[in-house]
Amino acid sequence: MSTATTMVRPQETAATPAIEVRNLRRTFRIKGGLLGKDREVVAVDDVSFSVPTGGVLGVVGESGCGKSTLARVILNLLPPTSGEVLVEGRRLSALDRRARARLIQPIFQDPFSSLNPRRRIKDIVAMPLVAQGNIPARQVNDRVAEMLTRVGLSAEQGERFPAQLSGGQRQRVAIARALVLRPRIVICDEPTSALDVSVQAQILNLLAELRRELNLTYLFISHNLAVVEHVASEVAVMYLGRIVERAEADALFRAPRHPYTRALLASVLTPEPGLGVPDVGLGDTLPDPANIPPGCRFHPRCPVAEPRCAVQVPQAVATTDGAAECLLLEGAAQP
Amino acid sequence: MSAPLLDIQGLRVEFGDTAAVRGASFTVSRGETHCVVGESGCGKSVSALAVMNLLARGARRSADRLVFAGQDLLALPERRMAELRGDRMAMIFQEPMTSLNPAYTVGSQMAEVYTRHRGGSRRAALDRAAGLLAKVGITAPGMRLGQFPHQLSGGLRQRVMIAMALMCDPELLIADEPTTALDVTVQAQILRLLAELQRDLGLAILLITHDLGIVARIAQRVSVMYAGEVVESAPTAALFADPSHPYTRGLLACVPVPGKVKREEALGSIPGVVPRIQPGFEGCAFRDRCAHAAPVCAGPVPRQRGEGAHEFLCRLPPGWTATERAA
Repeated sequence: MSTATTMVRPQETAATPAIEVRNLRRTFRIKGGLLGKDREVVAVDDVSFSVPTGGVLGVVGESGCGKSTLARVILNLLPPTSGEVLVEGRRLSALDRRARARLIQPIFQDPFSSLNPRRRIKDIVAMPLVAQGNIPARQVNDRVAEMLTRVGLSAEQGERFPAQLSGGQRQRVAIARALVLRPRIVICDEPTSALDVSVQAQILNLLAELRRELNLTYLFISHNLAVVEHVASEVAVMYLGRIVERAEADALFRAPRHPYTRALLASVLTPEPGLGVPDVGLGDTLPDPANIPPGCRFHPRCPVAEPRCAVQVPQAVATTDGAAECLLLEGAAQP
Repeated sequence: MSAPLLDIQGLRVEFGDTAAVRGASFTVSRGETHCVVGESGCGKSVSALAVMNLLARGARRSADRLVFAGQDLLALPERRMAELRGDRMAMIFQEPMTSLNPAYTVGSQMAEVYTRHRGGSRRAALDRAAGLLAKVGITAPGMRLGQFPHQLSGGLRQRVMIAMALMCDPELLIADEPTTALDVTVQAQILRLLAELQRDLGLAILLITHDLGIVARIAQRVSVMYAGEVVESAPTAALFADPSHPYTRGLLACVPVPGKVKREEALGSIPGVVPRIQPGFEGCAFRDRCAHAAPVCAGPVPRQRGEGAHEFLCRLPPGWTATERAA
């Protein structure tokens, strides 16, 4: 395990990706109860990708596809079962907590549960600075004030407690706390899913402005494809732990190649009257991460599956600006 | 045209000194889906609960008119109302897990609804339940009847809820955010199912949602609520073709639409927050956030009536959006 850490990386310059994930795998054991057997759930299954500095990788997929586990492993909140994560060329597990906090920060879905209800907003935002242990109090106060203003909160709101703010204001607090150490990378896990559309628009605009200003790199996880289309430069589609399609965002939305990506796109209900509700053609079998189908893991729900899809495991095939794992793309016949 | 199945005029709901619904009016006809759309706290769910008389203790409900199938609901004693609920009018909620009893099987809960309202044997009720589970697209309904709610996925639970709501052949189905907790792919399936059931059974559906995409795809008529009032109401096509209340226009601009809004462009947004409506509040509740606000907006607001039953609550005249577009 330790041999990889001593590897020399000569070209660790501008070309080093902000996030690099190699053959990442994370499994969980589920106790089978008194008589049942323990089961193994494969949440992330041999996933590899990289995100360049300043890029936004959108990760989409249904609940249980492993997208939040992926975020937690990248943040080093969960150790990987195998494989590795490099952030700016370094393993997070080799860094101490303080250095890690200066490099990468999370923003979670629920600003109601991720803020300490007993602390004032300004103290919540100051916490990462204070935890560094070597920043003078005066400088902490200045940076907190500057950050609150930047995310659109007043000094007066800084004196309040989380319960006294609206959902959108709380998410602004979470953003201020994540950015106060000026990290390079932010992992956003469903950052607007609990918010109303008008508030969601404000938060998405704010995240976009901050990324441009601070040259941040985002990993942006969402179940909402319309949101991902708006923010991401590249999109990864996850299904039962694997990235089944990855492409530059415009290409993915213009010409999705994997049948699952097409079904996901078809289920986006845009505000266009007269179109009705599409038949996404996925049937009723729901994916179970504890029981991954043989062959192509998507074949039980796939509207264009062939007999070979039930036995043969698809390999990644290069597509326009990306890759997809579908047997129908491997053969001459295009789906 | 015959009288609407559900006719609500001037509905008000108050909790202590806050008014959650302030004079909302809408109607639902047989075979029609009417969507009530708005953001959290606008009063859309409270309006639905008020119709069912399921408001929390301490809430005060009043209305100029609240009529369901010719019966005055305001004058109906709770005992009679309880007979209507689950029978001629049924409701489904966002999170089916909180409305299904975890201690009873799907079959016994579904059968109870039927035997309670219609009597008959448990056996007959279970047969009917199995038939309805099949109708809402559940395979192996016999097996599902013997299962407990926690053994089902979220999508299956919502199908069970819908099947349970249909046990007594209701005329009106009130659905409060029925797909919000579901994955997009499952959401599409559930919405298709609702549309199909409506076609087959001639149901009237009152659907509460925050999602303008859902509204556009399944409603025949839309009412937009803001701060307890219906600020705009129109046939769906007309509302999306010519949104006339500044709030409706703002809300539509906030929604990212693949292929329509450019990546580097900011999304539209509505400045400020929803005001707290204190007793004695007057004027337009949106005026502090509105780009078209004028001094008169602090006074009584007229209800403008445009073509084809398109109404909105604003000082601006019908057709003002045409001059806006020209400018």
